[in-house]
Amino acid sequence: MSPETLYQRITDYANRANPYPLYAELRENGVTRQADGSYLVGTYHEIAALLHDPRISSDSRNRADPSTVPMFRRNSQQAFIGLDDPEHDRLRRIAMRPFGPPHSPGRIDALRADITRISDGLIDEFRDKDRIDVVEDFAYPLPVTVICRLLGVPHEDMPQLRAWTNAVIAGVDVTPGKDEESRQRAGQDARAAMGEYMGDLSDKRRENPSDDMLSALVHDSGPDGRLTRAELMATGTLLLIAGHETTVNLITNGALTFLRFPDAYRLLRDKPELMPRAVEELLRYEPPVHLLPQRTPLADVEISDVTVPKGAPLILVLAAGNRDPLRFDDPDHFDPTREDNQHFGFGSGVHNCFGAPLARVEAQIALNALVPRLEDFQLSEDPPPYRRSPILRGPRHLPIERVG
Amino acid sequence: MQIVVDLNRCQAYAQCAFLAPQVFELHGEEALMFTPTVPDDQHEHVRRAAAACPVQAILVGERAGP
Ligand code: HEM
Ligand code: SF4
Repeated sequence: MSPETLYQRITDYANRANPYPLYAELRENGVTRQADGSYLVGTYHEIAALLHDPRISSDSRNRADPSTVPMFRRNSQQAFIGLDDPEHDRLRRIAMRPFGPPHSPGRIDALRADITRISDGLIDEFRDKDRIDVVEDFAYPLPVTVICRLLGVPHEDMPQLRAWTNAVIAGVDVTPGKDEESRQRAGQDARAAMGEYMGDLSDKRRENPSDDMLSALVHDSGPDGRLTRAELMATGTLLLIAGHETTVNLITNGALTFLRFPDAYRLLRDKPELMPRAVEELLRYEPPVHLLPQRTPLADVEISDVTVPKGAPLILVLAAGNRDPLRFDDPDHFDPTREDNQHFGFGSGVHNCFGAPLARVEAQIALNALVPRLEDFQLSEDPPPYRRSPILRGPRHLPIERVG
Repeated sequence: MQIVVDLNRCQAYAQCAFLAPQVFELHGEEALMFTPTVPDDQHEHVRRAAAACPVQAILVGERAGP
């Protein structure tokens, strides 16, 4: 099929369960201009170079054609994921102070006990069940509870936040289909509501601080100063959304992959100490973020003999790079002991995932707790039903059932 | 347990400093400091940090004896 339709085929929901043959086609074709004027990159070394290239912007105001930019990115205050240095760097540094080293080295490690308790509690609840939905019963509630605890979001507000998050994700969905306009509008409204919510919560924490990250963020004043209210709203919303949607996919993909490959399953059941490596391999083999749709060259850029013009939408297909045979041995094989594994699961370069250490800890603890429970279970359907998004790609449900 | 960090590979992603904060410390934005002889209660932490280092810069050696 014509290489110009690759992006359309990748985003087509019919290919959500197995986009990997399309990614192989993409790598074969090299950098390809799509019918809609965007450029797709799926080879490892090219993606790595672009993620480290200061001429490649994450700020969509640099798009030549604003209609290629999701509505919410066109006006309101952007979070640092959508900004370039030096602004990105300033905001990320301020957000990092209450989150990790050097200023707060113990914050994530201190969450381990909490994460273990939450995870064991969830598993207890389905101990006697014969049918489980890994997403609803486990992979979703865990990271949401953890990110709310980290930020200091009260438990009772979680359903509201879930509804907003779903609308936000639907609003940035690039799957071809109807009601795009209304989906985008609903997404923008939800984001605004979430921003207001985070702004109000920050005001409360300013008056009545507790030991959460948001309280630290509003009281802290380091060398880069403090966040304005608008910056706080954008940063809080980013952390809340980025902090759980992806981790759900990672845990779910873990359960799915272990049930598909009994050898890997047995290895991890017998040697839980291999889990950190296995999580890295999951991030390579079934990454929660399949593509980064938001990059734009600030000048004409040559990528393996193709010139991508300034201002064009540049789409980096991380999940294709993760299976590039020029970079990884036997890339379509899930090998939980793989040594050389510098994957793109968390991106790379200045925007590499802020929350990676937390996501790792969560996934390692969650999967080590889940593995013994999977012993007598099998997948009820394979492939499972997928969520719509080709960007944050993962199962919507993962029904499993007791054997016999 | 002994560790060595290959500082030619280390790109200061600081994963180790999150995962084993008692052993790996960031000084300023870039410089990584670590305790080469790992205290007993930190072995698990260090193994997890070594596994998560994106460039596999942390070399862990088990040494017998005292
Ligand atoms: C398995 C879970 C996760 C995956 C796969 C993941 C993946 C990613 C990826 C691929 C990027 C790069 C985006 C880009 O280059 O445009 C990113 C950025 C980011 N992630 Fe994550 N993430 C995860 C969990 C988390 C968590 C738990 C948090 C928050 C606590 C978080 C917060 C962020 C933030 C704030 C950014 C923007 C960083 C920047 O622009 O400098 N992520 N993540
Ligand atoms: S995790 Fe690896 S690359 Fe990062 S600071 Fe530690 S040793 Fe260096």
